Amino acid sequence: MTRAEFIARLKDGLVGLPTATATDIIADYETHFDDGLAAGRTEAEVAAALGDPVRLARELKAEAGILRWHQEKNPSAAAGAVFAVLGLGAIDILILLPIAMGVVGTIFGFFIAAIALFIGGGVVMVAGPFAGFPGGPFAAILMGLGMMAGSVFIGALLTIVTIWLVNATVWYARLHYRLLKPALEPQAQAAVQSATPAPGASA
Amino acid sequence: MPETIEIQLKKGALGLCVLALLNQADSYAYEIASRLSDAIGMGEGTIYPLMRRMQSDGLVETYLVESSAGPSRKYYRLTDAGRGALAAQSAEWTTFTQAVDAILANDAAAKEGAAQ
Repeated sequence: MTRAEFIARLKDGLVGLPTATATDIIADYETHFDDGLAAGRTEAEVAAALGDPVRLARELKAEAGILRWHQEKNPSAAAGAVFAVLGLGAIDILILLPIAMGVVGTIFGFFIAAIALFIGGGVVMVAGPFAGFPGGPFAAILMGLGMMAGSVFIGALLTIVTIWLVNATVWYARLHYRLLKPALEPQAQAAVQSATPAPGASA
Repeated sequence: MPETIEIQLKKGALGLCVLALLNQADSYAYEIASRLSDAIGMGEGTIYPLMRRMQSDGLVETYLVESSAGPSRKYYRLTDAGRGALAAQSAEWTTFTQAVDAILANDAAAKEGAAQ
């Protein structure tokens, strides 16, 4: 594989990442080729020693997704991290999907319930005093405030659980990618390694 | 399957080796990759996803060094968390290898005993 081929395949694999991140990654590998050539190796030797660009791209994409999730805890970063680690193929989607659907559905349901409770609390607080609420207007205001506070509490709790779930998925996928995947593809890796010139052979 | 266990061991040890190298001196990716691939025979490309992972975990940080020839070079150095991880992981590594060595030594002794 030539340098241009390697970089092209890597670029293809990195589609979907922010341009700045992809450029940064490509620059790393371009520097690696520069250094390798300066050390007297051929493009083919450097490319062979680097390994499969498609596989590297998958791993880099997952790392970038996880980094973004660490930096900005928002729903889009969470989805990005989860989909990127799913892309590693370390988690069997067919086994995970029914469980994930149930968990995501439950969390979503609770979120909707929390929002409804918040709105309901608002209505009780504002409309209660004028609608002859049992216990008088003051009780109605207090009850509305209580419902709203309760919904905020549920929402906060759900957010913590969701963040924890995303972190657990990322942790699990990383562990399995590192331990399981290499074991499943020993031939591919062994082929890459045997293509690498023996250390000191060129010296 | 000797290949499988070899690759798993290397992949697990790679992070520890990078921490140890950076503890000796700050370095750049090509140097780390070539030293490690000479020593433990890993694919050199693996170093970049690993460095990014260690960076996002806060174990290493990067800085740029101006170079006389060509563009400035990205160097890696250990953070305090990285030094902590190195201490913890080398302790784990020593315990683990000692346990495996002890079992292998027993096994060899048993075989010698059976042969006699």
